[in-house]
Amino acid sequence: MTKLVEKRTVDMEIIGDWVEPNTRVLDLGCGPGVLLDYLVQTKKVSAVGVDLDFTKITACVRRGVAAYQGDMIAFMRTFPERHFDRVICSRTVQELSDPTAVITEALRVGRALTVGFVNHGFWKNRLHTLLRGRKIRNEVYTTEWFESRPANPVTIADFEHFCAAKGIRVARRAHLAGNWHKPCRTLPNLLAGYALYDLTR
Amino acid sequence: MTDDVEVTSDTDSTPRHLAPGDVGLVSPRDFVHAQPFTFKSGQVLPGFTLRYETYGQLNATRDNAILICHALSGDHHCAGWHSPTDRKPGWWNNLIGPGKAVDSRRFFVVSVNVLGGCQGSTGPSSTNPETGRPYGTLFPFVTIRDMVRSQKLLLDHLGVAELHGVIGGSMGGMTAMLFAIEYPRFVRRVLAMATTGRESAQAIAFNEVGRQAIMQDPAWNRGDYPRDGGPRVGLAIARMMAHITYVSDASMDRKFGRRKKETATGDAYTFDVQFEVEGYLRHQGQSFINRFDANSYLYITRALDQFDLADAHGSLEAAFAPVEAETLVVGFTSDWLFPPEQNRALTLALLRAGKRASYAELSTDLGHDSFLLESEELYTLVRGFLERDQPFVFDYSI
Repeated sequence: MTKLVEKRTVDMEIIGDWVEPNTRVLDLGCGPGVLLDYLVQTKKVSAVGVDLDFTKITACVRRGVAAYQGDMIAFMRTFPERHFDRVICSRTVQELSDPTAVITEALRVGRALTVGFVNHGFWKNRLHTLLRGRKIRNEVYTTEWFESRPANPVTIADFEHFCAAKGIRVARRAHLAGNWHKPCRTLPNLLAGYALYDLTR
Repeated sequence: MTDDVEVTSDTDSTPRHLAPGDVGLVSPRDFVHAQPFTFKSGQVLPGFTLRYETYGQLNATRDNAILICHALSGDHHCAGWHSPTDRKPGWWNNLIGPGKAVDSRRFFVVSVNVLGGCQGSTGPSSTNPETGRPYGTLFPFVTIRDMVRSQKLLLDHLGVAELHGVIGGSMGGMTAMLFAIEYPRFVRRVLAMATTGRESAQAIAFNEVGRQAIMQDPAWNRGDYPRDGGPRVGLAIARMMAHITYVSDASMDRKFGRRKKETATGDAYTFDVQFEVEGYLRHQGQSFINRFDANSYLYITRALDQFDLADAHGSLEAAFAPVEAETLVVGFTSDWLFPPEQNRALTLALLRAGKRASYAELSTDLGHDSFLLESEELYTLVRGFLERDQPFVFDYSI
């Protein structure tokens, strides 16, 4: 198992812990449906993913995961309040063109919203930027700036500030150390590599 | 649906119907239902015939059947060849066959000409036993539900216990969805492409122009015309116009542009065919009148216009409430007859109703008929939906 796959399964396990069995789950930016497949198998959830890319939808369909090709805000607007027990936004939030709109809408259609993101404020990321003066490239940030979609370098402090400013309640948070395995309890904005938030209105 | 299924010319001496992946020579069969059949309108037929084809074998558990539903002008002949000298194979030959996306080695594929049609199934051109003449407008009004109910009788007759899937584009997509609504326990998968829960005013408008072209032709004679006659001019015009709605500005421009016919006289001040697109449409109209009955065209377009899942059940969600099948809807970006929004609305309603449903959208510039596209992407999606990969095993070992 590569280091990155190992990291990914840690991420999935924590999200899985937060998901109640037999509930209705929506994954925004579901990609090929790996997380939802895991949740269907381990938690028997009723799942649907949203993604913009036809090949990702095909991958979901081949796994037996229901998926919708289209814009996530337009998708959510067609659902009544609290239709989903949980909305998941795993490693998607940094690429959203209007994060506030997506998170607000997700908190309307979902009873809870799980957001997971790579902490750009992690000390190695800061050091990399400070010393090299270039876009970070490592096992998490794999692409050159000119090959990647635009991404906000969001940090834990940024996200905490956002929740406070918007009056969003943080029900749970998990900050993981640089290897994404052990919990990180001190100075998370500096020492945590990955962050997971469980939000409610 | 257009008649544009082109067959790539032979590069070797293998006869086309013996090509690998092809179901080969097929023969249609007739299912005769000898009991009275009551239509949704309340009108009754003493019995009916459905013409159908099958490819592949029904398995021992009788649950590997896939029903193919055709569009307005389609028929039961969707794969293979009726004779080695046929100019074209069945209309969905690119999708269906041994090893293809709808794999006839795995599945028992059934394809039926709809009730009200004119390719062998009972319709307005069939003989009315009471008069000894074609039914004409005395034929009962047909709905998509009547088509579904009659096809279920055929599937029962064939011994199908459960449908592995029901697949259709355009009107076929409506039929497929209604199958899962009418017979929830019988249908495990629905694959609906380029379709809608109800036609827009624009789609009804196009159908009405087609009907008017037929009915304003004096040869229509209120639907009472001999088998070899009828409103040939009106039907050809209806087809020419409808054909435009099945393609797109971009695809017509690519195919014809403003190219002039070689036979064009060079004289701009004439109404003879000048542009290639004119000749093409005239050819489409002419070939259509040789295979389609004008009254069938009226009946089936009317069935399309009347189809309204939301109105029939109160809402789309209510319509889908009984569905037990898993649904995949596929829309096409350039389809302006049943545009992506109308396809998306189906998946969204299914999801709101708590059903398993997916929506995929292919970028094409071929218009409504994109569902007939030769596309590996589409084949992978269809195969994935019907066959599904083995469950992914999560490995936590390090």
